[in-house]
Amino acid sequence: MKKTLFSLAMVAILLLSACGGKTTGNNATNNSPVQITYMEWGDPAELSVWKAIVADFEAANPNIKVNVDVSDWDSYWTKLKTLLAANTPPDVFAMDAPLYLDYQSRGVLLNLQPYIDSNPGMLDGLFPNTLTAYQTPDGYFGLPRDFQTIVVFYNKDMFDKAGVPYPKSNWTYDDLRATALALTKDTSGDGKIDQFGYVIDPWDFEPGMSEIIWASGGDLINADHTKTLIGEPNARTAFQFLHDMMFVDHSIPDPNTSSQYGGDLFLSGNAAMIAMGHWAVPSYSEASFKWDVVQMPSGPAGQATSVNSAGFVVGKDSKNPDAAFAFIKFVLSTAGQTRLAEMGFACPVLRSVAESDAFLKQGTSINQQIFIDSLAFAHMKPVFKGYDEWSSTIGDGLTPMWNGEAELNPTLDQIVTQADVVLANNK
Amino acid sequence: MEYGLRPLGREKFWFWVMLIPTLIGLTFGALGSILATLGLSLTNWDLLRPPTWAGISNYLALFNNPAYFKALTNTFKFSAMYVPGVVIISLFVAVLMNRKIHGVSIFRTIYFLPAVTSAVATALVWNMIYGRDTGILNYLLNLLGQPSICWLCTKNALMSVVVVNIWGAIGEGMIIFLAGLTAIPREYYEAATIDGAGTFDQFFSITLPLVTPSIFFQTLISTINAFQAYDYIYMMTRQGQGDSSVPVVVFSIYRNAWNFFKYGGASAQAIELAVLVILLMGFYFWLERRYVVYE
Repeated sequence: MKKTLFSLAMVAILLLSACGGKTTGNNATNNSPVQITYMEWGDPAELSVWKAIVADFEAANPNIKVNVDVSDWDSYWTKLKTLLAANTPPDVFAMDAPLYLDYQSRGVLLNLQPYIDSNPGMLDGLFPNTLTAYQTPDGYFGLPRDFQTIVVFYNKDMFDKAGVPYPKSNWTYDDLRATALALTKDTSGDGKIDQFGYVIDPWDFEPGMSEIIWASGGDLINADHTKTLIGEPNARTAFQFLHDMMFVDHSIPDPNTSSQYGGDLFLSGNAAMIAMGHWAVPSYSEASFKWDVVQMPSGPAGQATSVNSAGFVVGKDSKNPDAAFAFIKFVLSTAGQTRLAEMGFACPVLRSVAESDAFLKQGTSINQQIFIDSLAFAHMKPVFKGYDEWSSTIGDGLTPMWNGEAELNPTLDQIVTQADVVLANNK
Repeated sequence: MEYGLRPLGREKFWFWVMLIPTLIGLTFGALGSILATLGLSLTNWDLLRPPTWAGISNYLALFNNPAYFKALTNTFKFSAMYVPGVVIISLFVAVLMNRKIHGVSIFRTIYFLPAVTSAVATALVWNMIYGRDTGILNYLLNLLGQPSICWLCTKNALMSVVVVNIWGAIGEGMIIFLAGLTAIPREYYEAATIDGAGTFDQFFSITLPLVTPSIFFQTLISTINAFQAYDYIYMMTRQGQGDSSVPVVVFSIYRNAWNFFKYGGASAQAIELAVLVILLMGFYFWLERRYVVYE
């Protein structure tokens, strides 16, 4: 069935690309408003917030109309690639920083540098480390929209019940391990653990693994993205630490265990702590327990967390690049960023808004400041061409080990070899 | 052998008119995409830039691709268990259901139910049944004093998904075999009973030979389904980051194309899969000439 769908999609693409070339050159120079499309991934709740932002924008720019198109993460990328192949890209679309170069290097994005140059000072108020991901030798082909730092979310009720003190901002990985162990319990008394101290995503570097590797003095990949570094001694120590928590302490559930709890053990009340980004705040706000956030712990090499940003890019074949850029500029302005902050899914990239009440005093009673403070010691989630294939190779390779079916060291050796092949092929 | 009535005169005209919608669909939907896939498999294409000629390099690369080899192995292992499983069990069920007992239509409905239920929904239910600490299956094992088994861990996952896929396919197989069984004339059984043949003799000497056309058809369909199996497998074995603990070829095709920007390589995998299925079909038709009994 999937094969048929796939073949059909292929034909659709070919047909679309055959028709695509004929419909250019209807640039609206008359009085009718310019129509642009903004496409992004997200859930229905985000659509309503974006509609509010668009309403503000259209009020300020009566000659531009913005159509917002929101898809879920998986279908977003499929849809986007199809539209790009057909030369009918959305004018503005959302981009995940690690995947940015996969698109930029293939020449489908518009260089925004000339527009930025004609708006001096436009980027001044943005957090510098959110901009780095979008820099290329030829200028910016995209701009950050919001950012995500990883922090530890903790279930206050669970800590209170166990009489364990809340984690402090200067805690260490040893503290984390002891705290997690103290909160790992068999609450139903059937001989099986059903409350875990700590949860990470053991297949994705972003929440949980990259932080401890950096805090141990290791790294994921070298600077020119030719060599995978997760097999180096310091990174191995970090993996060993997590491995011990999982298989000695049992305070981190292995993937087979966590899959039984329908995805999110923190939300289901089966985990005391979880490494997570701000995107989880809206859904956790509906949890039946009290919770808060704290910085990632520090290791031998100090404190470290991961920062990643979602950004905007403009399709190279956009018919209305000026209107598209005007929209981006508006979302990066105080008015736009304030709306985005109220949405609650991510942190605003405009420093003045991130430090204002719009972000810090949202509906939830948690300490939003932690997300901003974490920037001080944040490492950027790697950004390079072929990121998706590289990280999938590593994630796939780690699975047998986290399932307890393969040894740590041979697994890492094997992954590094495979991942380096992927890097070489994507050069 | 007479295949039925032949269309005559004006009937011939309407015959083709009625076929046009299907033919258009086949030409553009199936044939067109097959040719497009064949063409793409000879290129390097990332969907975003124009394809560049690659010759047969995508095919050669398949020989040196451990992930693809793993997927191909899984597909073959899966098919080797799935096809006999579906054919034997659905024939068995069909024989049981082909009797005049009370409430037989209720049982038939129950066996057919998986075929009309959403695969995604049933896969989620099976995930709960297979759960290591919370699943019903291990609960029952524990009641019998047996230790829990991690059904969906890498070691057992293939077996576990084969079971679910067979379970999902029995209904359709049963319908095919029921049709075949009802076509066997009653007189044969009556004659056999008079001659003193028991139930087993009747099954192996009458039922089995006369139902071989259905067995042949069901084996063919099951093989095609086995090579295309995806939905249950993915739902039950997916890992974070879009991986699967039992990657099959269809999964590999999808992932290479849509996640890794390798449409040429994915097309080569699709073509190779098709060629393997065609070869297997050729073998089946050779078997058909030797073993299948048409009345």
